[in-house]
Amino acid sequence: MSRWEQLLTEEIRVIDEDLWAELVELTGGTASLCYQCGVCTASCPWGLVLQVPLSVRTFMRLTQIGLHDGSESLWRCTTCAQCEPYCPRGVKITDVFRSLRNIAWNRRKVEKGLPSLLWSVYWNDNPWSQPPTQRSNWAKGLEIPVYDPERHEFLLYVGCTSSYDRRAQRIARSLVRLLKAAGVSFGYLGDGEPCCGEAVLSVGHKPYFREISQQTARLFLEKGVAHLVAISPHCYDVFKNHYPRMLAENGMLIQHYSQYLAQILEEGRLRFERPLDLTVTFQDPCYLGRHNQDYQSPRRILKAIPGVELVEMERCGVDGLCCGGGGGRMWLETAAGERFSDLRVMEAAQTGAGVLATACPFCIVCLEDSAKVMKTEKLQVMDLSEIAALAAAGE
Amino acid sequence: MVASLYGVQEERKAIWVYLEQEGGTLENVSLELLSKGREMADQMKWQLVGLLLGRGVVELAETITAHGADEVWLADHLLLDCFTIDAYARVVFQALMDGKPSVFLLPATPNSRDLAGRLAVRLRTGLNADCTDLHMNPEGELMVSEVSGFGGGVLALIEMRHHRPQMATVRPGVFSPGEADASRKGKLIRLPVDLTADMIRTRIVERALGRGVDLTRAPVLIAGGRGVEGDFKLLQELADALGGEIGATRPPVDEGHIERERQIGQTGVVCSPKVAICCGISGAFHFVVGIAKAGTVIAINTDPAAPLFDYADYCIVGDVHQIIPALIAALQQSQERSRA
Amino acid sequence: MRELRTVVCVKVVPKPEAVRVDPGTRLLDRSNARAEINPPDMNALETALALKELHSGRVDIVSMGPPYFEPYLRVGLAMGADHIYLLSDRAFAGADTLATTYTLAQGIRKIGAFDLVLCGEESSDGATGQVPPGLAEWLQVAQLTLLSEVEVDLASNTARGRRQLKGGYEILEVPLPCVVSVKTACNEPRFMDYGIKSWAFAEGRVTVWNAADLQADPECIGLAGSPTIVSELAEAPFRERRRQFLQGTPEETARQLVDLLKEKLSA
Repeated sequence: MSRWEQLLTEEIRVIDEDLWAELVELTGGTASLCYQCGVCTASCPWGLVLQVPLSVRTFMRLTQIGLHDGSESLWRCTTCAQCEPYCPRGVKITDVFRSLRNIAWNRRKVEKGLPSLLWSVYWNDNPWSQPPTQRSNWAKGLEIPVYDPERHEFLLYVGCTSSYDRRAQRIARSLVRLLKAAGVSFGYLGDGEPCCGEAVLSVGHKPYFREISQQTARLFLEKGVAHLVAISPHCYDVFKNHYPRMLAENGMLIQHYSQYLAQILEEGRLRFERPLDLTVTFQDPCYLGRHNQDYQSPRRILKAIPGVELVEMERCGVDGLCCGGGGGRMWLETAAGERFSDLRVMEAAQTGAGVLATACPFCIVCLEDSAKVMKTEKLQVMDLSEIAALAAAGE
Repeated sequence: MVASLYGVQEERKAIWVYLEQEGGTLENVSLELLSKGREMADQMKWQLVGLLLGRGVVELAETITAHGADEVWLADHLLLDCFTIDAYARVVFQALMDGKPSVFLLPATPNSRDLAGRLAVRLRTGLNADCTDLHMNPEGELMVSEVSGFGGGVLALIEMRHHRPQMATVRPGVFSPGEADASRKGKLIRLPVDLTADMIRTRIVERALGRGVDLTRAPVLIAGGRGVEGDFKLLQELADALGGEIGATRPPVDEGHIERERQIGQTGVVCSPKVAICCGISGAFHFVVGIAKAGTVIAINTDPAAPLFDYADYCIVGDVHQIIPALIAALQQSQERSRA
Repeated sequence: MRELRTVVCVKVVPKPEAVRVDPGTRLLDRSNARAEINPPDMNALETALALKELHSGRVDIVSMGPPYFEPYLRVGLAMGADHIYLLSDRAFAGADTLATTYTLAQGIRKIGAFDLVLCGEESSDGATGQVPPGLAEWLQVAQLTLLSEVEVDLASNTARGRRQLKGGYEILEVPLPCVVSVKTACNEPRFMDYGIKSWAFAEGRVTVWNAADLQADPECIGLAGSPTIVSELAEAPFRERRRQFLQGTPEETARQLVDLLKEKLSA
């Protein structure tokens, strides 16, 4: 084929003015700031596991022009925001991906399994297709009272993963034991706890997320929730940053449990009396660390436990490696050999630590899975609440 | 109350069983139904009739009689060679209107369910589908069907007081086939078949029927889930050593490690082996329903908190890739010892 | 080329895990159960909507049930269906498959001429799977059941589908109009289109017909039209398992298993 023939038969991509306008509206025009330096692509963790890294820069460029790539690459983003601190122009890259995904939903070109994810939230109030009537089964025997704003300091928001996933349920139980040991008065919503909708937002269905957030916010206001403590950083982030402003305007305090524990530690209400002989390295959850700039709360707790030696992995702080579970990827298959958490547990093992600690149910599930696969037998994956519960007084 | 085309007054006190055959071989489920039908007929001192449709299948009459039928009603015709709903429904309907049995049992297979559903409406009678058990109530000479609903959580007993035939479909593997008794004698009744090609609306464009995996007959079932990581060769080795079959949960099937015919559970096969060995399966309810009737359930999983352990008799917390090879080796040793 | 006219039969069911049998009254207690569209019917809806994209035309939903079905059926409108026909009358209650299929057939005839009636394989509550063939018989049309794939050819006026069975498959063709049932989980139902969702729930067209509207024979509907009666209802007995944990190395466990297997398989 001659060069002319090639040029004449090549697919011409026509810029759709409506799409461009939609993208600008959905992203608040953030992509227009991008000057295509490519630092985002360089910092993206996909470059660590793929031959050809995920070209974040290309996605920004397509968004600027008004073109759409609905291929599999669009769904790889875990929304870890590793790229955002490095972007010299402060482009909200995570939100661009969510917006591109929103358009994919409008065109009904989404990854297999994602419509079922949304249906699960719609029919079952959780993304795990589990029966709504079994949401509080994890709490059997713990006698957690139903939230009463008059009697309780805060509402414990458990979240879908800690309610239903067998491993994550242990986080919820440890936290409850710990709070009781510290004499904290709290309540929860039992089977009536609504889904926060983060799974829906992360896969980009903004209108459905808006609907969920309005319903849940209204419920919280009806129940008189003044203070909410969430187990998952994903739920915490969505309540704090993406829910209707009516929550903030009503003065509702929203915390991740590590922040609440750090607070009562400072107030002297939480004491660690049982020394543990552990070397611990901490995995910063993306949605506590990079998204909400809190790297300190979990470390304050760990440092306060006698006998705990804290060591850091090579990639730490703002460079902490994502476990790979965010951005809806807990519900999508990641091929073996492409899992960030595999690399992370190796990194943890290299520190010589006996325990890899974290404070997110997605991290726990991904890291434990990888620890089994990578056979890092000497490394135990534990949640912050589990470590703290062991050391707390009054057990 | 809408009346059935024939009622209690006109009925002949007999149990009829529709016999499914494919390519001249009786399906196992037909023998299972004959066995149960024989039991019910004996209890009531009624006749048991086997209804067989096909082409060139007269030699099956012997087997049908040997398995308990007092009479075999046979419709043998060129146009009955392959199952088509129009041809089969027409012929079975005519046979039923001729014989007017009290009870009519069919297997709950894809084709026979279609047949049962159309016939029940054509006859204006009731149909109890996917029964987990049947028995006759001598008082009132009624058939009582046990069916489950709501994913197996609720059991109902159903009767039909005024309508005939009392129809029921039963899944393969619910009943056991009896022993054949070659000395049994029975009558063969050939039915006239009134069929022409223009009566059949279905056109068979393509047909490729395989050997057909029948997990319901296996005395031992080795089921594999996610934890097996696609290594069904290992499970097949164990199945061969024990004379059993392999099955799977949905994830390995979806990933292409094993055929869908081997999927066990609510949307797959429900079976009742003597022993079910579940490897690397977490134990979601819709799977458990598939092996709930197994004699003994052995579960192997690395997760000590796997829900399947609640539904198992013997639980092993361990790696399938270590336990199964060890088991195969131990079985070989044991066989060598008993030979020596 | 004319357009494709499809009717989808949809049932609203209680979520199975929460249904109990009241030990006192021996009646079904659905009070704790939330409802949903019968999952296999979602697959039928998806099939209908995909065919509509190919052939243009309309997709109507028909359902027999009480008024509370309505908001659930509107989900179907939000997915892309055109109109809901809810067959609702106290006289329809207590119907078994014979009465149900009769009533649905009356409704479908009243909706008008159709090419295709689509059903799910079975329902999660009753799970008889008898509605599709029963409907086909009342409507006196051909049927194709348990299809994993469906195709329609309006030029030759036929429907074609693929059925998995007996370790293989068959591809069958029947003339339109016909009744088709699709295999559970044969496709992934599309999520609601939020562009039309508010419209679907506020203004989407719902027509409610009672027995008189359908000119239904009172002898053929509800309890009166049902040959089968439930004589007893119970919660399925839970078979208790031993839950005995075997200890030891893989070799030790294997030896214990061999003894166990010898014992259980010789019986």
